[in-house]
Amino acid sequence: MRALFLLRNRFVWVPLVLFIVIAGWNAWVATHDHGIISGRVVDADGKPVAGATVHLWVFNFTTFVEKDSTTTAADGSFRFTGNPSHNIQLSADKADAGRSDRIPVRLYFASEDFVLAKPLRLERG
Amino acid sequence: MMRQRRTWPIHLTLIAVSAVMLLPFYWVFKTSISGENIFSYPPNIIPRDPNPFYYVDVWYAIPFARYFLNSVIVSAITITANVVLNAMAGYALTQNFRGKGFVLLLFLSCMMIPFQATIIPAYLITGKLGLLDSYLGLSLPLFSTIICIFVYKAAFDAVPRSLIDAARVDGLSQWTIIWRVMLPLARSATATNVILSFIWSWNNFMWPLIVTRTPEMQTLPLGLARFLSYQEDSTGALYAFCIMVLAPGLLLFLMAQKEFVQGLSAGATKG
Repeated sequence: MRALFLLRNRFVWVPLVLFIVIAGWNAWVATHDHGIISGRVVDADGKPVAGATVHLWVFNFTTFVEKDSTTTAADGSFRFTGNPSHNIQLSADKADAGRSDRIPVRLYFASEDFVLAKPLRLERG
Repeated sequence: MMRQRRTWPIHLTLIAVSAVMLLPFYWVFKTSISGENIFSYPPNIIPRDPNPFYYVDVWYAIPFARYFLNSVIVSAITITANVVLNAMAGYALTQNFRGKGFVLLLFLSCMMIPFQATIIPAYLITGKLGLLDSYLGLSLPLFSTIICIFVYKAAFDAVPRSLIDAARVDGLSQWTIIWRVMLPLARSATATNVILSFIWSWNNFMWPLIVTRTPEMQTLPLGLARFLSYQEDSTGALYAFCIMVLAPGLLLFLMAQKEFVQGLSAGATKG
């Protein structure tokens, strides 16, 4: 009964709600901060490109610097692990297939696991 | 039959005035989630492509959590000291003693001296006490404020004298009278003390700038200045920082605004 009375007090329930929200957010961050960035690379016709080089660019104070690179698998997929940043860019290129635009990716927290919704599209020229 | 007065013109005026006063806050919030240039023309009322990423940028650009914790600790110490010391001083001023008029005059005259004028002796005293670059040293000058003492005095003056006399007859000490009788009857004055001391402590820039020596002891206003020094081109991030600094104060005020207004107006109608 007394607990119910206390919960009706705004000086109790407002901090309590804040605490629950912050605790929930931190739990979410703790379980989704492996720094895994994954996605796909396709050519101009939308077909998967194997062996393309994907670059991970990380924001460093004022500019983006290349942090890592990887090669796509047979189905055009790629995966980075250990991304440390919340503000990154991704780009891909392959000698005979062209290069993609550099795609900016904003994350809600550093090292957030992220799957690129749209594939990186290689264009010639 | 009494003619009922029309209230809608008053409400309309109040709504218009409120809108004018809230517009800058809205504009800061809108810019913080859209990053739009404040000089863009025509200005957009509705934010375009709102996102929370400027807040994320601020969080990682400086050690925000550390500055926030420092501000919270300093404010908590300040609030506690203000409630305890101001209640004691306010209670003392409700008593009759020789030289009371002089003490009141001294307090009122001290209010006219700006903090900037006493900042060097305050620094020297804090240094002699060995409290530079510490939480206690950061909160020391705001331990007691004269305005808040008078807020308590006004609230305590409103308590019937007979109640204090009855408490004395029951054998209560002066301390017990303050904590068990006066303070529960002066909740609005306490809320006013809490809010005012929190806001003054939270927004304090000059004293933390002087008294801190390491980045780990800096508070949010200093963090804002540091942030400005290397992120001055990002309006969105700057405004997001402002919102993050303002939010705790606004929340506290919204929670306790009823008691705050009561506390400020207590004694206003008393002769």
